[in-house]
Amino acid sequence: MITPRVPTGIAGLDEMLAGGFLPGTANLVEGAPGTGKSTLAMQFIEHGITAHGEPGIILTFEEFPEHLIRDAANFGWDFAAHQAAGRLRVIQTSPEVTLADVRRTSGRLETLIEQIGARRVVVDSLSHFERLAADPVELRLLGFELINALKRMGLTAVLTRENPALLGETSEGDDDLAYVVDSYLLLRYVEIESAVHKALLVLKQRGSGHATDIRQYAITARGLEVRSRFAGTHGIMSGTPVMTHTEAFAAAFLTPGKK
Amino acid sequence: MADAQDDAAHLMDDIDPRLLDLLRTRINTFIKWDLVRFFHANPHTADTAENLARYTGRDVRVVEPELRQLAQAGVLEVETLADLRVYTLTADNNTVALLDSFMRACDDRQFRIKAIYHVIRSLRRERERP
Repeated sequence: MITPRVPTGIAGLDEMLAGGFLPGTANLVEGAPGTGKSTLAMQFIEHGITAHGEPGIILTFEEFPEHLIRDAANFGWDFAAHQAAGRLRVIQTSPEVTLADVRRTSGRLETLIEQIGARRVVVDSLSHFERLAADPVELRLLGFELINALKRMGLTAVLTRENPALLGETSEGDDDLAYVVDSYLLLRYVEIESAVHKALLVLKQRGSGHATDIRQYAITARGLEVRSRFAGTHGIMSGTPVMTHTEAFAAAFLTPGKK
Repeated sequence: MADAQDDAAHLMDDIDPRLLDLLRTRINTFIKWDLVRFFHANPHTADTAENLARYTGRDVRVVEPELRQLAQAGVLEVETLADLRVYTLTADNNTVALLDSFMRACDDRQFRIKAIYHVIRSLRRERERP
């Protein structure tokens, strides 16, 4: 039996996810500033609307909708037209208002989902929940509550979260939410030979297989493009990988022009 | 002095009467103007005074009374969610169309100058009120 999927429209990523996210799941995309979390999320919404006729909602806690719509236009995604056609709603709000709204019956979000028939939602970004609670346990419960509310409403969600570490390992205790979400995608900067590359890893996908290798990706004029896996290096997720013994040997002795 | 004021007042004569009324009765401060611009550009915003103050780069103590007045004037709607007062743009299509006309008129420099003049007059009148 083939499990239905909710494709992101990002070719290499859907392949890593065995076809896409599972319907009605909460999917965390974490990365440092500029790694393309919001672009990935917008692409997920754009693809839903244009390729699958699935209206979407974007809850933005930071970037103003007018800027987000402008950014989307730079990738050729006409969010203004989607909004005018009732296929998309970009809502500027805050974690406290969102939580208060989803806790009540027939709240603003629930009503909107009914009105436009929304199937996909983006929450950008979950990092803003951190100002609601200093205690990590309470914070995790708040995240759990939001995720369950979105699932109750039948939505497939992409939730972004900032990771302040540009390169290197993340600090412990940052990943409480990782237990709660259904899939967890990590976007990282990687330094290789004095150049910064971008790496994507699917850390988990509950209820489904997924690729476990680390892939290169780029933010192009059409959005994210996931490319081949990193070859010849290890320690990619540390941010500063080193060559494998074979590659190091080849670079030192076999590459033309090197002595 | 009075003559000069009267002359300046004539500058308002060629403004669309609906927009003039909007300026006189509803968008009569620069903070309200900022808030209306924000809600017009981001029409599906739903948030508290504290966050709206942050979005417009102002002090919540200044912004909150202005939001309340915009809600009283029918430009915004306010809803209480738990202990939060959440402001949204009005759902009234006529008002939204009027705000749209106002913001489009603001693209014209001459209109903006006249509108600024009017807001300054409103603020001065308010200050001089005993």
